[in-house]
Amino acid sequence: MKTKLVLNFNPEASNLPITHNLTAKYGLLVNILRAEIDEVGGKMVIEISGKADSIKTGISYLKEAGVGVRSIKEGVRRDDEACTHCGVCISICPTKALILDSKTHKVIFKEDKCVACGVCIDACPPRAMEILI
Amino acid sequence: MKKNKRPSGPTTSGKSFADISTRARDGDAVVMTAMEFKEFVKTNGVKKAAKEVDIVTTGTFGAMCSSGAYFNFGHSDPPIKMQRAWLDDIPAYGGLAAVDVYLGATELDDSNNMMHGGAHVIEDLVRGRAVRLKATAHATDCYPLKEIDTYVSLKTINQAVLMNVRNCYQNYAAASNTSGRTMYTYMGKLLPELGNATYCSSGELSPLLNDPLYRTIGIGSRIFLGGGEGFVIWEGTQFNTGVERTPNGVPKRPAGSLAVLGDLKQMTPEFVKGLTFTRYGATLGLGIGVPIPILDEDMAKACAVTDKDISTAIFDYAQQTRDRPVLAEVTYAQLGSGEVDIKGRRVPTSPLSSIYKARKIAELLKKSIAKGDFVMTEPVQRLPLDRSPKHLDTRSEKEAMK
Repeated sequence: MKTKLVLNFNPEASNLPITHNLTAKYGLLVNILRAEIDEVGGKMVIEISGKADSIKTGISYLKEAGVGVRSIKEGVRRDDEACTHCGVCISICPTKALILDSKTHKVIFKEDKCVACGVCIDACPPRAMEILI
Repeated sequence: MKKNKRPSGPTTSGKSFADISTRARDGDAVVMTAMEFKEFVKTNGVKKAAKEVDIVTTGTFGAMCSSGAYFNFGHSDPPIKMQRAWLDDIPAYGGLAAVDVYLGATELDDSNNMMHGGAHVIEDLVRGRAVRLKATAHATDCYPLKEIDTYVSLKTINQAVLMNVRNCYQNYAAASNTSGRTMYTYMGKLLPELGNATYCSSGELSPLLNDPLYRTIGIGSRIFLGGGEGFVIWEGTQFNTGVERTPNGVPKRPAGSLAVLGDLKQMTPEFVKGLTFTRYGATLGLGIGVPIPILDEDMAKACAVTDKDISTAIFDYAQQTRDRPVLAEVTYAQLGSGEVDIKGRRVPTSPLSSIYKARKIAELLKKSIAKGDFVMTEPVQRLPLDRSPKHLDTRSEKEAMK
Protein backbone atom coordinates (compact mmCIF):
# COMPACT_ATOMS: atom_id res chain seq x y z
CA MET A 1 0.00 0.00 0.00
CA LYS A 2 1.16 3.54 -0.81
CA THR A 3 0.07 6.91 0.47
CA LYS A 4 1.22 10.50 0.15
CA LEU A 5 1.39 12.74 3.19
CA VAL A 6 2.14 16.36 3.97
CA LEU A 7 4.10 16.68 7.24
CA ASN A 8 4.34 19.93 9.17
CA PHE A 9 7.07 20.22 11.80
CA ASN A 10 7.50 22.64 14.66
CA PRO A 11 11.16 23.51 15.43
CA GLU A 12 11.44 20.71 18.06
CA ALA A 13 10.17 18.03 15.72
CA SER A 14 12.52 19.32 12.99
CA ASN A 15 15.43 17.78 14.89
CA LEU A 16 13.97 14.27 15.06
CA PRO A 17 15.20 11.58 12.61
CA ILE A 18 11.62 10.98 11.50
CA THR A 19 12.13 9.44 8.08
CA HIS A 20 14.81 7.13 9.48
CA ASN A 21 12.45 5.98 12.23
CA LEU A 22 9.63 5.34 9.77
CA THR A 23 11.93 2.96 7.94
CA ALA A 24 13.85 1.43 10.87
CA LYS A 25 10.98 1.05 13.33
CA TYR A 26 7.98 0.51 11.08
CA GLY A 27 9.53 -1.03 7.96
CA LEU A 28 8.15 1.71 5.69
CA LEU A 29 9.78 2.88 2.47
CA VAL A 30 9.90 6.67 2.45
CA ASN A 31 10.22 8.74 -0.71
CA ILE A 32 10.77 12.43 0.02
CA LEU A 33 9.04 14.42 -2.72
CA ARG A 34 9.54 17.88 -1.30
CA ALA A 35 11.11 19.33 1.82
CA GLU A 36 11.63 22.79 3.17
CA ILE A 37 12.64 24.27 6.51
CA ASP A 38 12.72 27.76 7.96
CA GLU A 39 12.85 29.51 11.36
CA VAL A 40 9.30 28.49 12.29
CA GLY A 41 9.58 24.81 11.39
CA GLY A 42 9.50 22.62 8.34
CA LYS A 43 7.28 21.01 5.76
CA MET A 44 7.78 17.75 3.93
CA VAL A 45 5.79 15.93 1.28
CA ILE A 46 6.48 12.19 1.40
CA GLU A 47 5.21 9.02 -0.16
CA ILE A 48 5.31 6.03 2.17
CA SER A 49 4.80 2.44 1.14
CA GLY A 50 4.44 -0.68 3.26
CA LYS A 51 1.81 -2.81 4.97
CA ALA A 52 -1.46 -1.04 5.84
CA ASP A 53 -0.96 -1.72 9.56
CA SER A 54 2.60 -0.38 9.48
CA ILE A 55 1.42 2.80 7.72
CA LYS A 56 -1.22 3.27 10.41
CA THR A 57 1.25 2.83 13.28
CA GLY A 58 3.81 4.97 11.44
CA ILE A 59 1.28 7.82 11.18
CA SER A 60 0.46 7.43 14.89
CA TYR A 61 4.17 7.69 15.68
CA LEU A 62 4.41 10.91 13.64
CA LYS A 63 1.45 12.45 15.44
CA GLU A 64 2.84 11.49 18.86
CA ALA A 65 6.14 13.14 17.88
CA GLY A 66 4.24 16.40 17.31
CA VAL A 67 4.26 16.27 13.50
CA GLY A 68 1.18 17.56 11.72
CA VAL A 69 0.00 14.90 9.23
CA ARG A 70 -2.37 15.55 6.33
CA SER A 71 -3.32 13.52 3.32
CA ILE A 72 -1.98 14.88 0.02
CA LYS A 73 -5.54 15.01 -1.26
CA GLU A 74 -5.82 18.20 0.71
CA GLY A 75 -2.68 19.58 -0.97
CA VAL A 76 -3.89 21.21 -4.18
CA ARG A 77 -7.44 21.93 -5.20
CA ARG A 78 -8.84 22.84 -8.60
CA ASP A 79 -11.82 25.13 -9.02
CA ASP A 80 -13.58 23.22 -11.80
CA GLU A 81 -15.82 26.16 -12.65
CA ALA A 82 -12.86 28.51 -13.14
CA CYS A 83 -10.79 26.08 -15.24
CA THR A 84 -11.05 26.85 -18.97
CA HIS A 85 -9.30 23.60 -19.94
CA CYS A 86 -6.63 25.52 -21.85
CA GLY A 87 -3.93 23.03 -20.88
CA VAL A 88 -1.17 25.47 -19.96
CA CYS A 89 -0.51 23.40 -16.81
CA ILE A 90 0.10 20.07 -18.51
CA SER A 91 3.65 20.65 -19.70
CA ILE A 92 4.87 22.07 -16.39
CA CYS A 93 3.44 19.46 -14.03
CA PRO A 94 6.43 17.27 -13.09
CA THR A 95 4.34 14.25 -12.08
CA LYS A 96 1.79 14.33 -14.94
CA ALA A 97 -1.02 14.87 -12.45
CA LEU A 98 -2.53 17.27 -14.99
CA ILE A 99 -3.19 15.73 -18.37
CA LEU A 100 -5.30 16.48 -21.41
CA ASP A 101 -8.00 13.93 -22.18
CA SER A 102 -7.70 13.25 -25.91
CA LYS A 103 -11.41 12.46 -26.28
CA THR A 104 -13.07 15.23 -24.26
CA HIS A 105 -10.21 17.75 -24.68
CA LYS A 106 -10.64 18.59 -21.00
CA VAL A 107 -7.76 18.86 -18.52
CA ILE A 108 -7.97 16.04 -15.99
CA PHE A 109 -6.54 16.55 -12.49
CA LYS A 110 -5.30 13.24 -11.09
CA GLU A 111 -5.08 14.07 -7.41
CA ASP A 112 -3.35 10.79 -6.56
CA LYS A 113 -0.39 11.78 -8.73
CA CYS A 114 -0.12 15.33 -7.34
CA VAL A 115 2.82 15.97 -5.00
CA ALA A 116 1.65 19.49 -4.13
CA CYS A 117 4.80 21.05 -5.58
CA GLY A 118 2.76 24.12 -6.48
CA VAL A 119 4.35 24.71 -9.91
CA CYS A 120 0.89 24.94 -11.51
CA ILE A 121 -0.43 27.61 -9.15
CA ASP A 122 1.04 30.73 -10.73
CA ALA A 123 0.97 29.22 -14.23
CA CYS A 124 -2.82 28.95 -14.35
CA PRO A 125 -4.31 31.99 -16.17
CA PRO A 126 -7.85 31.71 -14.71
CA ARG A 127 -6.31 31.02 -11.28
CA ALA A 128 -8.19 27.75 -10.93
CA MET A 129 -5.47 25.98 -8.90
CA GLU A 130 -5.06 26.58 -5.19
CA ILE A 131 -2.41 25.17 -2.85
CA LEU A 132 -3.69 24.44 0.65
CA ILE A 133 -0.51 23.37 2.46
CA MET B 1 6.24 40.61 -50.72
CA LYS B 2 4.54 37.74 -52.54
CA LYS B 3 1.13 38.77 -53.86
CA ASN B 4 -1.83 36.85 -52.47
CA LYS B 5 -4.72 36.24 -54.85
CA ARG B 6 -8.26 35.12 -54.15
CA PRO B 7 -11.22 34.48 -56.45
CA SER B 8 -13.91 37.18 -56.36
CA GLY B 9 -16.85 34.73 -56.33
CA PRO B 10 -17.51 31.00 -56.32
CA THR B 11 -15.25 28.92 -58.54
CA THR B 12 -16.12 25.44 -59.95
CA SER B 13 -19.94 25.33 -60.14
CA GLY B 14 -20.33 26.96 -56.76
CA LYS B 15 -23.15 28.33 -54.66
CA SER B 16 -23.45 32.01 -53.88
CA PHE B 17 -23.32 33.43 -50.37
CA ALA B 18 -26.93 34.60 -50.86
CA ASP B 19 -28.09 31.06 -51.87
CA ILE B 20 -26.54 29.62 -48.73
CA SER B 21 -27.94 32.36 -46.48
CA THR B 22 -31.44 31.81 -47.88
CA ARG B 23 -31.16 28.06 -47.35
CA ALA B 24 -29.98 28.67 -43.78
CA ARG B 25 -32.85 31.08 -43.12
CA ASP B 26 -35.35 28.50 -44.41
CA GLY B 27 -33.80 25.82 -42.21
CA ASP B 28 -32.67 23.83 -45.27
CA ALA B 29 -28.91 24.35 -45.03
CA VAL B 30 -26.58 21.48 -44.24
CA VAL B 31 -24.45 22.75 -41.35
CA MET B 32 -21.43 20.93 -39.93
CA THR B 33 -18.89 21.81 -37.28
CA ALA B 34 -15.29 22.07 -38.47
CA MET B 35 -14.61 18.75 -36.70
CA GLU B 36 -17.46 16.97 -38.54
CA PHE B 37 -16.60 18.55 -41.88
CA LYS B 38 -12.99 17.33 -41.82
CA GLU B 39 -14.20 13.79 -41.15
CA PHE B 40 -16.79 14.11 -43.92
CA VAL B 41 -14.12 15.18 -46.43
CA LYS B 42 -11.85 12.32 -45.36
CA THR B 43 -14.58 9.80 -46.16
CA ASN B 44 -16.35 11.46 -49.07
CA GLY B 45 -13.84 13.77 -50.71
CA VAL B 46 -13.84 17.48 -51.45
CA LYS B 47 -16.20 17.33 -54.46
CA LYS B 48 -19.05 15.70 -52.58
CA ALA B 49 -18.44 17.92 -49.54
CA ALA B 50 -18.66 21.08 -51.67
CA LYS B 51 -21.91 19.88 -53.19
CA GLU B 52 -23.62 18.64 -50.05
CA VAL B 53 -22.43 20.87 -47.23
CA ASP B 54 -23.46 24.52 -46.99
CA ILE B 55 -21.90 25.89 -43.82
CA VAL B 56 -18.97 24.94 -41.58
CA THR B 57 -18.79 26.37 -38.07
CA THR B 58 -15.38 27.20 -36.59
CA GLY B 59 -14.36 28.25 -33.09
CA THR B 60 -11.56 29.43 -30.88
CA PHE B 61 -11.13 30.29 -27.18
CA GLY B 62 -7.97 31.85 -25.89
CA ALA B 63 -6.23 34.83 -24.39
CA MET B 64 -7.07 37.78 -26.64
CA CYS B 65 -5.03 40.71 -25.40
CA SER B 66 -6.09 43.64 -27.55
CA SER B 67 -9.59 43.67 -26.11
CA GLY B 68 -11.67 46.05 -24.08
CA ALA B 69 -15.11 47.50 -23.65
CA TYR B 70 -16.70 50.92 -23.85
CA PHE B 71 -19.50 52.04 -21.59
CA ASN B 72 -21.99 54.85 -21.32
CA PHE B 73 -23.10 55.25 -17.71
CA GLY B 74 -25.87 57.81 -18.17
CA HIS B 75 -25.68 61.32 -16.71
CA SER B 76 -25.36 62.19 -13.05
CA ASP B 77 -27.15 65.11 -11.45
CA PRO B 78 -25.48 67.56 -11.50
CA PRO B 79 -23.71 66.26 -14.63
CA ILE B 80 -20.03 65.31 -14.83
CA LYS B 81 -17.57 65.18 -17.77
CA MET B 82 -15.37 62.36 -16.55
CA GLN B 83 -11.71 63.12 -17.15
CA ARG B 84 -10.29 60.26 -15.16
CA ALA B 85 -12.30 57.16 -14.28
CA TRP B 86 -11.75 53.86 -12.48
CA LEU B 87 -13.82 50.68 -12.49
CA ASP B 88 -13.01 48.57 -9.43
CA ASP B 89 -9.74 50.54 -9.22
CA ILE B 90 -8.76 49.76 -12.82
CA PRO B 91 -8.19 52.99 -14.78
CA ALA B 92 -10.54 53.45 -17.73
CA TYR B 93 -9.90 55.94 -20.52
CA GLY B 94 -12.10 58.98 -20.07
CA GLY B 95 -10.83 61.16 -22.90
CA LEU B 96 -14.05 60.76 -24.86
CA ALA B 97 -16.89 62.90 -23.60
CA ALA B 98 -18.96 63.17 -20.51
CA VAL B 99 -19.91 59.66 -19.38
CA ASP B 100 -18.32 57.44 -22.06
CA VAL B 101 -15.22 55.47 -21.05
CA TYR B 102 -13.14 52.66 -22.57
CA LEU B 103 -11.73 49.96 -20.31
CA GLY B 104 -8.79 48.01 -21.72
CA ALA B 105 -8.54 44.32 -20.83
CA THR B 106 -4.84 44.52 -19.97
CA GLU B 107 -5.10 47.69 -17.84
CA LEU B 108 -3.95 47.01 -14.26
CA ASP B 109 -4.64 48.49 -10.85
CA ASP B 110 -1.94 50.36 -8.90
CA SER B 111 -1.14 47.47 -6.53
CA ASN B 112 1.91 46.48 -8.55
CA ASN B 113 1.16 42.76 -8.34
CA MET B 114 -0.19 42.66 -11.91
CA MET B 115 -2.91 40.24 -10.90
CA HIS B 116 -6.14 42.14 -11.40
CA GLY B 117 -7.03 44.01 -14.57
CA GLY B 118 -9.66 45.34 -16.91
CA ALA B 119 -10.43 41.82 -18.16
CA HIS B 120 -11.50 40.78 -14.65
CA VAL B 121 -13.82 43.78 -14.38
CA ILE B 122 -15.34 42.92 -17.77
CA GLU B 123 -15.92 39.34 -16.56
CA ASP B 124 -17.46 40.60 -13.29
CA LEU B 125 -19.90 42.77 -15.24
CA VAL B 126 -20.81 39.83 -17.50
CA ARG B 127 -21.42 37.78 -14.33
CA GLY B 128 -24.02 40.35 -13.32
CA ARG B 129 -21.94 41.86 -10.53
CA ALA B 130 -21.88 45.52 -9.60
CA VAL B 131 -18.52 47.27 -9.88
CA ARG B 132 -17.40 50.50 -8.22
CA LEU B 133 -17.14 53.50 -10.52
CA LYS B 134 -15.04 56.42 -9.42
CA ALA B 135 -14.43 59.45 -11.61
CA THR B 136 -12.93 62.89 -11.33
CA ALA B 137 -13.37 65.93 -13.55
CA HIS B 138 -12.23 69.52 -14.05
CA ALA B 139 -15.77 70.82 -13.66
CA THR B 140 -17.17 73.19 -16.29
CA ASP B 141 -20.21 75.42 -16.47
CA CYS B 142 -22.05 72.71 -18.35
CA TYR B 143 -20.65 69.77 -16.34
CA PRO B 144 -20.19 71.16 -12.81
CA LEU B 145 -19.63 67.93 -10.84
CA LYS B 146 -15.99 67.34 -9.85
CA GLU B 147 -16.15 63.74 -8.68
CA ILE B 148 -18.43 60.78 -8.31
CA ASP B 149 -18.16 57.50 -6.39
CA THR B 150 -20.90 54.97 -7.12
CA TYR B 151 -21.70 51.46 -8.31
CA VAL B 152 -22.72 50.33 -11.79
CA SER B 153 -23.76 47.02 -13.35
CA LEU B 154 -24.93 45.93 -16.78
CA LYS B 155 -28.45 46.72 -15.54
CA THR B 156 -27.61 50.38 -14.89
CA ILE B 157 -25.30 51.02 -17.88
CA ASN B 158 -26.76 52.26 -21.18
CA GLN B 159 -24.27 50.79 -23.64
CA ALA B 160 -21.72 48.13 -22.68
CA VAL B 161 -19.93 47.09 -25.83
CA LEU B 162 -16.96 44.79 -26.20
CA MET B 163 -14.73 46.35 -28.85
CA ASN B 164 -11.49 44.53 -29.55
CA VAL B 165 -8.91 45.75 -32.03
CA ARG B 166 -6.94 42.52 -32.45
CA ASN B 167 -8.50 39.12 -31.82
CA CYS B 168 -8.74 35.74 -33.43
CA TYR B 169 -5.21 35.58 -34.82
CA GLN B 170 -4.71 33.52 -37.92
CA ASN B 171 -2.01 31.18 -36.63
CA TYR B 172 0.33 32.19 -33.81
CA ALA B 173 3.90 31.73 -32.69
CA ALA B 174 4.89 28.96 -30.28
CA ALA B 175 7.32 29.60 -27.42
CA SER B 176 10.13 27.93 -25.52
CA ASN B 177 13.03 29.11 -23.38
CA THR B 178 16.72 28.22 -23.69
CA SER B 179 17.82 30.33 -20.72
CA GLY B 180 18.66 29.04 -17.26
CA ARG B 181 15.71 30.71 -15.52
CA THR B 182 11.94 30.39 -15.64
CA MET B 183 10.44 33.10 -17.83
CA TYR B 184 6.96 34.49 -17.23
CA THR B 185 5.50 35.64 -20.53
CA TYR B 186 2.21 36.17 -22.37
CA MET B 187 2.90 32.67 -23.66
CA GLY B 188 2.72 31.36 -20.11
CA LYS B 189 5.35 30.02 -17.75
CA LEU B 190 8.34 28.89 -19.80
CA LEU B 191 10.57 26.53 -17.85
CA PRO B 192 14.38 26.86 -18.11
CA GLU B 193 16.52 24.99 -20.62
CA LEU B 194 13.74 23.99 -22.99
CA GLY B 195 11.67 22.63 -20.12
CA ASN B 196 8.43 23.12 -22.05
CA ALA B 197 6.91 24.77 -25.10
CA THR B 198 3.58 26.57 -25.37
CA TYR B 199 1.39 27.42 -28.35
CA CYS B 200 -1.79 29.39 -28.81
CA SER B 201 -4.20 28.55 -31.60
CA SER B 202 -7.15 26.24 -32.01
CA GLY B 203 -5.42 25.14 -35.24
CA GLU B 204 -7.76 23.32 -37.59
CA LEU B 205 -10.81 24.70 -35.73
CA SER B 206 -9.63 28.32 -35.88
CA PRO B 207 -11.80 30.62 -38.05
CA LEU B 208 -9.14 32.31 -40.19
CA LEU B 209 -7.18 29.09 -40.71
CA ASN B 210 -10.29 27.67 -42.43
CA ASP B 211 -10.60 30.72 -44.67
CA PRO B 212 -6.94 31.48 -45.26
CA LEU B 213 -7.42 34.12 -47.94
CA TYR B 214 -10.44 35.75 -46.26
CA ARG B 215 -12.88 34.87 -49.05
CA THR B 216 -15.92 34.69 -46.75
CA ILE B 217 -14.90 36.35 -43.49
CA GLY B 218 -14.76 40.13 -43.77
CA ILE B 219 -16.06 43.41 -42.45
CA GLY B 220 -19.70 42.96 -41.49
CA SER B 221 -19.54 39.18 -40.87
CA ARG B 222 -21.80 38.25 -37.97
CA ILE B 223 -19.93 36.10 -35.46
CA PHE B 224 -20.31 34.28 -32.15
CA LEU B 225 -18.65 36.59 -29.64
CA GLY B 226 -18.27 35.71 -25.97
CA GLY B 227 -21.54 33.77 -25.91
CA GLY B 228 -23.51 36.47 -27.72
CA GLU B 229 -23.50 37.80 -31.26
CA GLY B 230 -21.06 40.31 -32.63
CA PHE B 231 -19.52 41.50 -35.86
CA VAL B 232 -16.18 41.75 -37.58
CA ILE B 233 -15.71 45.53 -37.77
CA TRP B 234 -12.31 45.88 -39.41
CA GLU B 235 -9.04 44.11 -40.10
CA GLY B 236 -7.31 43.43 -36.78
CA THR B 237 -4.28 45.54 -35.92
CA GLN B 238 -0.90 44.15 -37.05
CA PHE B 239 -2.76 42.41 -39.89
CA ASN B 240 0.02 40.83 -41.89
CA THR B 241 -0.54 39.03 -45.15
CA GLY B 242 3.09 39.00 -46.15
CA VAL B 243 4.05 35.79 -44.38
CA GLU B 244 5.03 32.54 -46.02
CA ARG B 245 2.06 30.30 -46.88
CA THR B 246 1.49 26.68 -47.90
CA PRO B 247 0.31 26.02 -51.49
CA ASN B 248 -3.25 26.10 -50.07
CA GLY B 249 -2.71 29.58 -48.70
CA VAL B 250 -2.37 28.62 -45.02
CA PRO B 251 0.05 31.04 -43.32
CA LYS B 252 3.04 29.53 -41.52
CA ARG B 253 3.30 32.45 -39.10
CA PRO B 254 0.91 34.85 -37.35
CA ALA B 255 -0.92 36.59 -40.22
CA GLY B 256 -4.42 38.05 -40.28
CA SER B 257 -6.48 39.03 -37.25
CA LEU B 258 -9.93 40.51 -36.63
CA ALA B 259 -11.26 43.64 -34.97
CA VAL B 260 -14.60 42.68 -33.46
CA LEU B 261 -17.49 44.27 -31.61
CA GLY B 262 -20.51 42.98 -29.71
CA ASP B 263 -23.02 43.73 -26.97
CA LEU B 264 -21.52 42.77 -23.60
CA LYS B 265 -25.05 42.37 -22.22
CA GLN B 266 -25.55 39.26 -24.40
CA MET B 267 -22.33 37.58 -23.29
CA THR B 268 -21.76 34.80 -20.76
CA PRO B 269 -18.94 34.15 -18.26
CA GLU B 270 -18.34 30.78 -19.90
CA PHE B 271 -16.85 32.59 -22.89
CA VAL B 272 -15.63 35.86 -21.31
CA LYS B 273 -12.99 35.21 -18.70
CA GLY B 274 -10.51 37.45 -16.94
CA LEU B 275 -7.07 35.81 -17.04
CA THR B 276 -3.80 36.53 -15.25
CA PHE B 277 -0.45 35.64 -16.68
CA THR B 278 1.98 35.86 -13.78
CA ARG B 279 4.40 38.78 -14.12
CA TYR B 280 2.83 39.70 -17.47
CA GLY B 281 -0.54 40.88 -16.23
CA ALA B 282 -4.19 40.58 -17.14
CA THR B 283 -5.79 39.61 -20.40
CA LEU B 284 -9.17 38.48 -21.63
CA GLY B 285 -10.03 34.85 -22.33
CA LEU B 286 -12.59 35.08 -25.10
CA GLY B 287 -14.55 32.71 -27.29
CA ILE B 288 -15.12 33.51 -30.97
CA GLY B 289 -16.90 31.44 -33.60
CA VAL B 290 -17.38 32.15 -37.29
CA PRO B 291 -19.56 30.29 -39.79
CA ILE B 292 -17.98 29.68 -43.18
CA PRO B 293 -20.14 29.14 -46.26
CA ILE B 294 -18.89 26.37 -48.55
CA LEU B 295 -19.15 28.33 -51.78
CA ASP B 296 -17.24 25.87 -53.94
CA GLU B 297 -14.60 23.15 -54.00
CA ASP B 298 -11.81 25.58 -53.13
CA MET B 299 -13.66 26.62 -49.98
CA ALA B 300 -14.33 22.96 -49.13
CA LYS B 301 -10.63 22.24 -49.58
CA ALA B 302 -9.74 25.18 -47.33
CA CYS B 303 -12.09 23.97 -44.58
CA ALA B 304 -10.74 20.42 -44.88
CA VAL B 305 -7.40 21.63 -43.49
CA THR B 306 -6.13 19.59 -40.54
CA ASP B 307 -3.52 20.16 -37.85
CA LYS B 308 -1.06 18.14 -39.95
CA ASP B 309 -1.25 20.82 -42.66
CA ILE B 310 -0.83 23.83 -40.37
CA SER B 311 2.61 24.74 -39.14
CA THR B 312 4.23 27.42 -37.02
CA ALA B 313 7.62 28.16 -35.49
CA ILE B 314 8.75 27.75 -31.90
CA PHE B 315 10.59 30.93 -30.94
CA ASP B 316 13.16 31.32 -28.19
CA TYR B 317 11.63 33.73 -25.68
CA ALA B 318 14.94 33.81 -23.79
CA GLN B 319 16.01 36.38 -26.34
CA GLN B 320 14.29 39.61 -25.38
CA THR B 321 14.29 41.27 -28.77
CA ARG B 322 11.70 42.02 -31.45
CA ASP B 323 12.96 39.21 -33.67
CA ARG B 324 13.52 36.04 -31.73
CA PRO B 325 15.45 33.07 -33.07
CA VAL B 326 13.45 30.13 -34.40
CA LEU B 327 14.12 26.90 -32.48
CA ALA B 328 12.00 24.57 -34.60
CA GLU B 329 9.32 24.43 -37.30
CA VAL B 330 6.41 22.26 -36.18
CA THR B 331 2.88 21.35 -37.16
CA TYR B 332 -0.11 21.67 -34.83
CA ALA B 333 -0.43 17.89 -34.98
CA GLN B 334 3.06 17.65 -33.47
CA LEU B 335 2.32 20.33 -30.87
CA GLY B 336 -0.94 18.59 -29.99
CA SER B 337 0.80 15.23 -29.51
CA GLY B 338 2.12 16.44 -26.13
CA GLU B 339 5.78 16.80 -27.05
CA VAL B 340 7.98 18.15 -29.82
CA ASP B 341 11.58 17.78 -30.83
CA ILE B 342 13.74 20.87 -30.23
CA LYS B 343 17.43 20.46 -30.97
CA GLY B 344 17.26 16.72 -30.30
CA ARG B 345 15.36 17.09 -27.03
CA ARG B 346 11.83 15.89 -26.39
CA VAL B 347 10.07 18.95 -25.02
CA PRO B 348 6.59 18.71 -23.44
CA THR B 349 3.98 21.05 -24.94
CA SER B 350 1.01 22.99 -23.59
CA PRO B 351 -1.74 24.73 -25.51
CA LEU B 352 -2.89 28.11 -24.22
CA SER B 353 -6.02 27.88 -26.33
CA SER B 354 -8.86 25.72 -25.02
CA ILE B 355 -9.77 23.15 -27.65
CA TYR B 356 -12.59 22.01 -25.37
CA LYS B 357 -14.21 25.44 -25.53
CA ALA B 358 -13.39 25.94 -29.23
CA ARG B 359 -15.29 22.72 -30.05
CA LYS B 360 -18.16 23.80 -27.83
CA ILE B 361 -18.40 27.12 -29.68
CA ALA B 362 -18.45 25.36 -33.08
CA GLU B 363 -21.26 23.09 -31.76
CA LEU B 364 -23.29 25.98 -30.31
CA LEU B 365 -22.95 27.99 -33.51
CA LYS B 366 -24.04 25.01 -35.61
CA LYS B 367 -27.16 24.55 -33.46
CA SER B 368 -28.07 28.17 -33.53
CA ILE B 369 -27.70 28.40 -37.35
CA ALA B 370 -29.73 25.22 -37.79
CA LYS B 371 -32.48 26.67 -35.56
CA GLY B 372 -32.49 29.90 -37.56
CA ASP B 373 -31.45 31.97 -34.54
CA PHE B 374 -28.10 33.01 -35.97
CA VAL B 375 -28.32 34.69 -39.36
CA MET B 376 -25.15 34.67 -41.44
CA THR B 377 -24.17 37.93 -43.12
CA GLU B 378 -22.08 38.49 -46.23
CA PRO B 379 -19.16 40.87 -45.67
CA VAL B 380 -19.73 44.40 -46.89
CA GLN B 381 -16.00 44.78 -47.47
CA ARG B 382 -13.18 42.28 -47.85
CA LEU B 383 -10.17 42.07 -45.58
CA PRO B 384 -6.94 43.23 -47.23
CA LEU B 385 -4.38 41.03 -48.93
CA ASP B 386 -1.57 43.55 -48.98
CA ARG B 387 -0.62 44.36 -45.43
CA SER B 388 2.84 44.06 -43.98
CA PRO B 389 3.62 45.30 -40.48
CA LYS B 390 5.75 48.35 -39.76
CA HIS B 391 8.04 48.54 -36.77
CA LEU B 392 8.40 51.13 -34.04
CA ASP B 393 11.91 52.51 -34.03
CA THR B 394 13.33 55.56 -32.33
CA ARG B 395 13.39 58.12 -35.14
CA SER B 396 13.52 61.85 -35.75
CA GLU B 397 10.53 63.93 -36.81
CA LYS B 398 11.97 64.04 -40.36
CA GLU B 399 12.56 60.28 -40.50
CA ALA B 400 8.98 59.68 -39.33
CA MET B 401 7.65 61.59 -42.33
CA LYS B 402 9.70 59.73 -44.94
